[in-house]
Amino acid sequence: MSKTLGLPLKLQALTKRYGAVTALEPTDLEIGAGEFLTLLGPSGSGKTTLLNLVAGYTGPSGGTITIGTRDVTHVAARHRNIGMVFQSYALFPHMTVAQNLAYGLEARKLPKAEIAMRVESALALVQLEGYGGRRIQHMSGGQQQRVAVARALVIEPDVLLMDEPLGALDRQLRRQVQLELRRLHLKHGRTTIYVTHDQEEALVLSDRIAVMANGRVQQLGTSMELYARPTNSFIAGFVGESNLLEALVTEVSDGTARADIPALSCGVTAPAIAGVACRRPAQLAIRPEHLKLATGTAEGITGTISEMTHLGGFTQFGVTLPSGAVLISRQVERGDLAPGINVRLSWEPAHALIVPAENI
Amino acid sequence: MNRLPLGWRIATNVAAMAVLAFLIAPILAIIPASFNKASFIRLPPAAWSTLWYGRFINDPEWLRALWNSLQLASLATLIAVPVGTLAALGLARSRAAGRLFCSALFIAPMVVPIIVVSVAIYRSALDVSMNGTLLALSLSHAVLALPFVVISVGISLHAVNPAWSLAAAGLGAGPWRIFRTITLPHVMPGMVGGAVFSFMTSFDEAVLTIFLADYSTTTLPVKLWETVRLEFTPVLAVAAVVMTGLSVALFVLVQIVIRQTGDKA
Repeated sequence: MSKTLGLPLKLQALTKRYGAVTALEPTDLEIGAGEFLTLLGPSGSGKTTLLNLVAGYTGPSGGTITIGTRDVTHVAARHRNIGMVFQSYALFPHMTVAQNLAYGLEARKLPKAEIAMRVESALALVQLEGYGGRRIQHMSGGQQQRVAVARALVIEPDVLLMDEPLGALDRQLRRQVQLELRRLHLKHGRTTIYVTHDQEEALVLSDRIAVMANGRVQQLGTSMELYARPTNSFIAGFVGESNLLEALVTEVSDGTARADIPALSCGVTAPAIAGVACRRPAQLAIRPEHLKLATGTAEGITGTISEMTHLGGFTQFGVTLPSGAVLISRQVERGDLAPGINVRLSWEPAHALIVPAENI
Repeated sequence: MNRLPLGWRIATNVAAMAVLAFLIAPILAIIPASFNKASFIRLPPAAWSTLWYGRFINDPEWLRALWNSLQLASLATLIAVPVGTLAALGLARSRAAGRLFCSALFIAPMVVPIIVVSVAIYRSALDVSMNGTLLALSLSHAVLALPFVVISVGISLHAVNPAWSLAAAGLGAGPWRIFRTITLPHVMPGMVGGAVFSFMTSFDEAVLTIFLADYSTTTLPVKLWETVRLEFTPVLAVAAVVMTGLSVALFVLVQIVIRQTGDKA
């Protein structure tokens, strides 16, 4: 398969409303040629709506879609040159694997010889050489997934869309296919939008991630940016885990905020995200892996271990504070901690973050 | 395996046989009846003969009735299958509130008493001077056959995943290509089933045809009915055997076709 890059994709104020319900708030998004962007969000967040708009399966209520330099907002799906991988794969069960792959090429009225050649190389790309004559129902779930990807790629789309393509696979297989998709992307280098609700999948695959909720993109960035600088409490809780505690902000200056934390019965100074201000709802976010537990010291916040779960390689502790709040801490295996033991909690000042509260 | 005691097994088998015999014996009785030598139907025949088969084949009225029936059933099928298929497709795709109402309308000819339909069509045909024409008969038989096609194609449409059409469109296929390559292969068994039922429905229709047909468009069932009122010769049994034979042959043929396409899948 040729090494052509896909085209850049640009959405401007793209909106979708169903009557009074807004499925997608006006959204601007730019995806570079060859970039792998993941739309990550819970169900009903608008990610599938956005994908269907780009594919042309539904028309927008407003805004524009531009692929390369072409405005495709009102272009029919079949003229957009977009490859789509469905969650259900939507393979044609009455055709063989090769016939499924040839479908898009036949619709393009390519010569038979070229179709046969491209089908062969697409099969090779997803490591299904020799399976062309098989019927779809005689392929395993993982193989069907690869056929679906190959069928979308063989037409050399300008943009590749994938709607939770690993949703139907079991956990073990999913891990393997993630790496496979990553390898494929690096090889074919097509502009890709990938929809998932699985954050691990998003982290493994993506160049950038757009976290969606309530019909809008909450934050767009690399996985590192989302993890280190979540723009609100929803992101802090959705990308990686966070202990989130209500924060009453008393002072903000120069990217740092001071806040009273009722659950901790004390004040805290921590880096603050844009949007944090006095008398506006905010939350203190601390990652479980950044919450240190100590015994035999008088420094730090008092708490009692109430839960202990071994997760292989590390242990997760639930620590109950005098206020009743429970914080989660992750530690590598250590022998001095057990349920019922009183501990002191602490963290590096740089590892706590005060973020605007966003209830979703 | 839970096996019944021997006595019970014999009893249930005998009961099942009795029911089957009750269902089929009167129909099978026409076969010996058609080989009577006498000029009235007697069972079992006192003397055997194929005399009445000769009478049937050499009587232009019977032959014309048979030809009319075959022609009419074919025309009704040719009308009902495409119309019913389109109706089923439309019903499956429509989200409108009128969908239930429309499907009720398409099924109505099966539910409304045939005599009511006959009177209504007879009266309407008078208004446009179409009584006794082959066109009027084909159209009205197609109306009776339509529900079978709508239902049978509708059932096969359940097996069509809407995502297939989306996928096909995304791959660059237009509506006609999608219909031809995705929808049609899946509704084909439904269409074949609907066609068989259409043909059968028209082929053995008598009530509506009595109202609508004239001397030149009389069908086999109507000819049977007219003849039975005048005479009770074994030629009636011959005509009945011909009808039954054709129906059974068609049914068997379709089963074979379906079996073969099923094997390929």
